[in-house]
Amino acid sequence: MKVKLIVLAFFCLLSFVTAEAKKPENLKYDIECVGNGAQSTYLVKVWVYGKASQITSDVLKKYAVHGVIFKGYSGRNGCTSQKPMAQSPVLEQERADFFDAFFNNDRSYAKYTTEVDGTTERVKVGKEYKIAAVISVSKELLRQDLEKAGIIRGLSSGF
Amino acid sequence: MKKAVLNFIGLFFCLSLLGQAKKPTLMVVPSNEWCTQNGYMMEFDNQGTTELLPDFKLALQTNFDLNKVITKIGGLMAEKGFPLVDLSASISNLERSNAMNRAVQSKNSGALIVETPLDMLKRQAKSDIILEINWKLISNGPKKTIDYYIRGIDAYTNKQIADGGGAEKPSFAAEVSVLLEEAVLSNMDNFAAKLQTHFDDLFANGREVTVGIQVFENAKNIDLETEFDGMELSEIINDWMAQNTVKHRFNKSNASAYFIRFEQVRIPLYREDEMPMDTEDFVRNLMRFLRAAPYNLTSKIEQRGLGECILIIGNK
Repeated sequence: MKVKLIVLAFFCLLSFVTAEAKKPENLKYDIECVGNGAQSTYLVKVWVYGKASQITSDVLKKYAVHGVIFKGYSGRNGCTSQKPMAQSPVLEQERADFFDAFFNNDRSYAKYTTEVDGTTERVKVGKEYKIAAVISVSKELLRQDLEKAGIIRGLSSGF
Repeated sequence: MKKAVLNFIGLFFCLSLLGQAKKPTLMVVPSNEWCTQNGYMMEFDNQGTTELLPDFKLALQTNFDLNKVITKIGGLMAEKGFPLVDLSASISNLERSNAMNRAVQSKNSGALIVETPLDMLKRQAKSDIILEINWKLISNGPKKTIDYYIRGIDAYTNKQIADGGGAEKPSFAAEVSVLLEEAVLSNMDNFAAKLQTHFDDLFANGREVTVGIQVFENAKNIDLETEFDGMELSEIINDWMAQNTVKHRFNKSNASAYFIRFEQVRIPLYREDEMPMDTEDFVRNLMRFLRAAPYNLTSKIEQRGLGECILIIGNK
């Protein structure tokens, strides 16, 4: 009986640890503008900090979209500052169910991005790396989809 | 049963349409400064005084860059669900009805109503928001920069409600029209976000207008101090304003026995029949209130642009 209980407790602990390990880690990132994109797009450079193996092209795209929705960016290199699409600073927490699926389970963010070839940069910072790429984000399509999903309000909402 | 369900769906659809707010209309015009710098000004005779005013028609007919900017802004606003009122079409309509309007105004009021061409354009196009654009090409050696600005002006109050723009990235080779297009693109989102704030305010607090009350010189024994059931007419009007403005918001900026000026009057966006309300509709309700017993007052409405109406008591 005692052995059975110990084995059960072991499996419970294992499943808990596995679930925690599967939960994607939020990495630190910076977003900056690199120029005016074509109509309906933002051209941004996103720097993600972490282990080199963690920062794939897909991760860079994810943080580019995350930055456009929640951070915005300041104007430099002749760019105009852009405010984040999210009208509330706590939108990500308020709509956690939507954004969890959007960024992790469904990976819906991927369809709004295109990585510009040959723009990857890699810099070693202490024990970790910061890796960047220039990403084109289809902001108008992204905005329209977020409006349709009721996540953000559009200019014509209410009329 | 099936018929009843269909009727219910039809009724629900109609009610949902009635509940929708009227979308504000937007129109792009070049700023006075831009028109002056580019030689698009015309002389306007304002009761014997010559004034210089922007000649939008000539600018639209001859300036490629202006047309491109207006088209680009129009495209971007249409993407956001706000098609623009076309400036050139509005000017054509204005020219057709101008002479007739002047004759009608003179007949009604017995006096000349002075309106600038821009006021006439606002009235004719019924544009709620004017998007005023301005840009300047700055050359620094071979480098060219566009300094571009856009501002949204509420046609009812003439207040600035949104702005955007600034100096763009310098370029050695790009054409002015390409630089302008970039400037429009990069500034539109922030501008739209500020417009959104204004719309939120409209929904929460109503539209801001100005209302004037005056008394005709030949009104018989009536002024704003005349008493009805122990209350002066000015008090009665003040109470009516408090009852009929959104959240009782209005400001009595000036008053005497013969006039009152109410500013920052927040009127509802809709009438009782769910149709959009403008300043004239709001003042017409006051006119009806004063026409009824026990006041039995005759009065006349004079509209001054989209956002100002004057009710003149004592005659038609």
